[in-house]
Order: sequence, then C-alpha cells, then structure tokens
Amino acid sequence: MDSAGAERRKRCLLIDLPLTPYAEALDLQHRLVDARSDGRLDTDAVLMLEHPPVFTLGRRGGLDDLIVSRERLVQEGIEVLPAERGGLITYHGPGQLVVYPVLDLKRSGLGVQELVAALETVMIGTAADFGVAAGRDGRNRGVWTGGKKLGSIGLAVRHGVSFHGLALNVDLDLTPFSWIHPCGLAGVAMTSLAAEGATAVSLDAARRSLAAHFALTLGFDLTPASLDALPGWPAAP
Amino acid sequence: MKEINELNLPEDLRYADDHEWLRPLETAARIGISDYAQDQLGDIVYVELPAVGRQLAKGEEFGTVESVKAVSSLYMPVGGEVTAVNEQLAEAPELVNTDPYGQGWMIEVKVADPAEVDALMDRAAYLKALGG
Repeated sequence: MDSAGAERRKRCLLIDLPLTPYAEALDLQHRLVDARSDGRLDTDAVLMLEHPPVFTLGRRGGLDDLIVSRERLVQEGIEVLPAERGGLITYHGPGQLVVYPVLDLKRSGLGVQELVAALETVMIGTAADFGVAAGRDGRNRGVWTGGKKLGSIGLAVRHGVSFHGLALNVDLDLTPFSWIHPCGLAGVAMTSLAAEGATAVSLDAARRSLAAHFALTLGFDLTPASLDALPGWPAAP
Repeated sequence: MKEINELNLPEDLRYADDHEWLRPLETAARIGISDYAQDQLGDIVYVELPAVGRQLAKGEEFGTVESVKAVSSLYMPVGGEVTAVNEQLAEAPELVNTDPYGQGWMIEVKVADPAEVDALMDRAAYLKALGG
C-alpha cells in the first residue's frame, strides 16, 4: 500500500445511533456504501446501534433453521427479514450491540477474511474488559465462551466496501435464540456478557469498550460523527 | 494471503476493476474472478449465479460469492446476454479457490459491445492497479 492510502485508513467516523429498526439501518448502510464507493464519502465509517427484536436471514436463507412457526413469531410481534450478509438465520434485539463497519477494503488493502478475524478480535477484547474470557472456535466463526456463542459475524461487500458486521450479546433476553438454530448450527446455545457474570455491564460501557478495541485492532482513529454532519452526505430521500 | 508476485494472472485474459477476469471465446466470453480476488475472499462456500438468458449491462451485479461469513457481489466486466453458467459451482464452490481460471469459471456471455472488452485491463495494467 502507498503511504497516502495508509494515512487515509487512519480516520474512521464513529456513528452512534439509538435503537434503530433493521430495515432503516439497512437502508442507511446501502446509502453509506454507495457514497463510500463513489467517493462522496471520503472516510470509512462505523455504525453502532441496537435493533428492536427481529430475525434476519443470510443470503443463503436459513428459514429451515427457524424451529417455531411463523404464526408464533407474528404473535410475538417479531418479523423475519431477508438480509444479504453472509451466514444464516440470527436474532437481534435490544441489549445486543450491533456494529456495522462501512470500510473501503480496497483502499485499506484489507481482505474480507482479515476483517472477519479482526471483528472477532474486537469482540474478544471487549468481553475481556468485562471479565469474560472469550475466544475463537476452530470449526465456526464468531466468538465463544464455555462452548456458548457470545458474538456473531455476517458481512457483505459491494465494490470493495464492507457492510453488515457483528452482533455482540451484552445484556438481553436470550429466549428468541431458542426458536432458531442460530447460524444454522443445531444445538448451539447462545449467551451474553451479563449471563456470563460480566461485571458492571451496560450497553453504554460496551459501546465505549468495543469502539476502543475496534480502533486498536483496525488501526483507526475514531472520530464521533452524526449523520447530518457527514460531508457530501445526502439527506434521506 | 498471497504477495502480489505470488499471484497467478494469466497473460491471455482481460481484467476488470472489481477483480473479474474475462476470456474471449469464439462467439462468447467466459468470466470468473481473479486469483487475487479468491485469495482475498478466503474459502468460498457458496456461489450464486444468474439465470441463462438474462441481459446484464457492464457493471451490473451478476451474482455473489460467499466466503465464510461474508457475501461479496460480482459485477459484469462487460455487458451482454448470459449464455451459460457453471453449474458445477453449486456442488463445488471451492473450485473458485483452487482453479479460478479453469474449473472455477462462473458465466459465459454473448458480448454486446466488443469495445467493452478492449477497454478492460491486460495483465500488466491489472498488476499495476493491484499496486505491484
């Protein structure tokens, strides 16, 4: 990589969002990816947010791994939405920290699998900050502790720009995970930082910790930004 | 990952910005992704290709490849009608990793405008674009 590329890679906007419906966050990512790939957005950006309860399918689907009826989910008021990310079915809900890195991989020379590994490192570091020893599992991606899954990864790439990302279970009701085979893995139990006895865990503390590990692992200087203030950023249609 | 000088980039192919390659055939052109692209993606577990007969313009998405936990879009290096897809990839997506220019080919298209083929990069230009 040339030095100009390395310098540009250093800056990354950190966009903290409140509880955001999945479809809204997806639309936002699409617009950011378009702007990043055609150059209107001249820096990388990372979104941090929580979603209201929702099941999402990967590009390959994953409906077979839904083990309760669609009617049951309607009763619970939980939607099942398609997503173009990697992986299969998963659940998002309040208390889970979701991070969507919109990074120009082409410019930074970062391979897709390197980004997957980096996001695992970020989650392992965050868990450690709360006294939870997590690690990788040789057979499956994501982050695990005591044989249970703590964090998941599902990315997409368009024109060399990444989106979708990671979901770290911080402090949430894990029941909906029991209605699916998460990521197509039967018999996998999910856990959260709180369920693992994390000390002084809160979503705010997890956001700060994860942002610090994200900056460290990927070599970024994170600049807090709001969507309205993005250079060259079009207002929502 | 491979260093740039370790990449296999055949002389007789044309290359696109998004790392697709194109091999001109007699009445069509064969398309796949480069050694660089497969190496960046890692182990490919799923390949999604278009239906035969579809008309796609240069730069349009023609499919996706999923490597472990990541889905990447594939783009038409030239416009044209899809005349064949590599059905073997449904059962053996790893061929894209092991033989990207041979058994790992993806689609064949009837090229609409030969000038779009001429506009693609040759090996030297592609290497330069990769920073070699």
